[in-house]
Amino acid sequence: MRIALYVTCLVDLMRPAIGFASLRLLALTGAEVVVPPGQTCCGQPAWSEGDRPLAAALARQAVGQLLNYDVIVVPSGSCAEHIVHTYPQLLSDEAGWRDAAQQVAGRTRELASFLAEALPPGPLPGHFAGTVTYHDSCKGLRGLGIKQAPRDLLLRVNGLNLQEMADCEACCGFGGSFSVRFAEVSTRIVDRKCAAVAASACGAVVGGDLGCLLNIEGRLRRRGDETTRVLHLAEVLAGGSGD
Amino acid sequence: MAGMRSQAMHFQARAGQKLADEVLQGALRRAQPLFTAKRQKGMVSLAADGLDFGHLRAAAAAIRQAVLDDLDVWLELFEARAKARGAEVLWARDGAEVSQLVVDLARRHAVRTVTKSKSMLSEEAALNAALLAAGVRPVETDLGEYIVQLADEPPSHIIAPAVHKTIAQVDALFADAHGRPRQTRHSSDIPALAREAREILRPQFLAADMGISGANFLVAETGSAVLVTNEGNGRLVTTLPRLHVVITGIEKVVPTLEDVATLLRLLPRSATGQDISNYVSLLTGTKSADESDGPDQTVFILVDNGRAGLLGSEFEPMLRCIRCGACMNHCPVYFSLGGHAYGWVYPGPMGSVLTPLLTGLDQALDLPWASTGCNQCGEVCPVDIPLPALMRGLRERQQHQQLRPRGERWARRVWGWLALRPRLYRWLTRGLVRYLHWLADGQGRIRIFGLVPGWTAGRDLPVGPGRSFHELYAARKRD
Repeated sequence: MRIALYVTCLVDLMRPAIGFASLRLLALTGAEVVVPPGQTCCGQPAWSEGDRPLAAALARQAVGQLLNYDVIVVPSGSCAEHIVHTYPQLLSDEAGWRDAAQQVAGRTRELASFLAEALPPGPLPGHFAGTVTYHDSCKGLRGLGIKQAPRDLLLRVNGLNLQEMADCEACCGFGGSFSVRFAEVSTRIVDRKCAAVAASACGAVVGGDLGCLLNIEGRLRRRGDETTRVLHLAEVLAGGSGD
Repeated sequence: MAGMRSQAMHFQARAGQKLADEVLQGALRRAQPLFTAKRQKGMVSLAADGLDFGHLRAAAAAIRQAVLDDLDVWLELFEARAKARGAEVLWARDGAEVSQLVVDLARRHAVRTVTKSKSMLSEEAALNAALLAAGVRPVETDLGEYIVQLADEPPSHIIAPAVHKTIAQVDALFADAHGRPRQTRHSSDIPALAREAREILRPQFLAADMGISGANFLVAETGSAVLVTNEGNGRLVTTLPRLHVVITGIEKVVPTLEDVATLLRLLPRSATGQDISNYVSLLTGTKSADESDGPDQTVFILVDNGRAGLLGSEFEPMLRCIRCGACMNHCPVYFSLGGHAYGWVYPGPMGSVLTPLLTGLDQALDLPWASTGCNQCGEVCPVDIPLPALMRGLRERQQHQQLRPRGERWARRVWGWLALRPRLYRWLTRGLVRYLHWLADGQGRIRIFGLVPGWTAGRDLPVGPGRSFHELYAARKRD
């Protein structure tokens, strides 16, 4: 089996450690893991801004890069949801791309849900001394139904204790360009998330989408919280600080 | 389009004001958990009755969709059946026609005072202003509507019009309007305030010549209006005056009472968490010879105001809406700003879709973007309206009609051009990540980022190690 890691543009630019942690975890499945070259962005920002032609062009580019793999794993619920649900719809009228888009969509998995099925049983390489809380990102939770998988995985990390915060399913206020277009509203929404994180008194908040994590970490720090760690699930599961 | 003037173009500016309004923010903070807890209770009771939300909402959506598929047929049937029971049925193209029809009716029947039960359609028409101009006094009798009428404000929520008001503000309004000194009030005083309003309203109910209500549903097979209320004012408005006028949108018709029964399992539970509202009134025709209660005359005003134009379009699902308010009750944007920021009649996610569709795409440019796309709204919608997808569709229309600012279009065009050229993209992003790293402080965070100042207005920007993943990965493979 050949697994392709679709790194996502945010991980590429803002936190490469998540990509390397994902590679280490995927290697534990025993499969061959490849990072297909030429990756840029899945096109979700263009789609949500209503730019259909650009979203379609980026979808064709990604489908072409990802078609020859058995599984495509994405360390982001948001990007995975876009590939799984939007690509087939976006390319449905293009005879040359329709089938390929459906195949790629059908083989694309969000990291946590794939690992929960594909990893051999037993403890995971990560070590985490302390209590973490998990933030459900909107597209992962409501778009792909990812709820239990990341929690099950976290509980397999040595020393880790999981404690739910209030309203863990509430949106963090990121919303892609929303966070910039309506920056003040976005900040108000993430304040509620930060308050929930603080009230949980956990040493770290963990999530599966870097967009949410940058938003939550950026606001926590601005509020003066220098200690609560904000980590991607892959970083916690794989252990180490990444590369 | 006449009717209520839309202020939706000022969403951004209003958002800033609303965020800075500490009194409003306090009211919203207190209200949201109450709303979500109520619906949660409704869902628990649904499950306790052995009903599955998913199945029930599929059935409800199917009922509403079937109506839209043959709307003309159901409306004609409704008209025939309502007339057979002695009612008059009038049609209004827009808000101005609604106001004209009601003012004409008031003149013809020598009406001086009108009592009103909640009607969002009358807000679309700005009916109260038209009545006042014609010398007729409209009295809102829903407690929340009564409060916002005293404050000379539009409602800020479709089922809780005064949710933005605090008890202290309500007491001040009542004290001024009712001619008594102001008092310090607590939540335990709410029944006393309600009693006070009731005492003022009772003589108005008795004196009114015309009662105006909306309708939650129109039943085609019986020619009836269904009214779902909690306060009892709806019954007094619709049965005491000699003339009852029902104003509602053409999309509110459903085929049968059986269909109403299905929809009623979801409407109160989605709205207030009740299994059933305190009152469900089925209003059919006029008072017959052997009846002691009811109006001498019933008039239905069925309003288009832009709705028919949505039939057959990608936005048709919006017409399934049964006005429960669950979408706004679960919306992080609505509860950051309150309903008035949205600028027209309907706030929250359903308003962000409906306002541009009914008042004009170019009259509400911000609203389709006022969403994080979290889909908390779509998940609770009892008729399965894909609200985030419809907002996205409206953005696509804005792009087609070139309604977006030039800078925004160019920024996306340049980014897209680069993202479609991976080698060039890789080369430029090498520079970008180094630049970000250089901007960051010792803790790897940017405090002020000139390229995207909105982000760092309220947040730091945590950045990476100054190398992109693909760059590091390529280097590693070389080793």
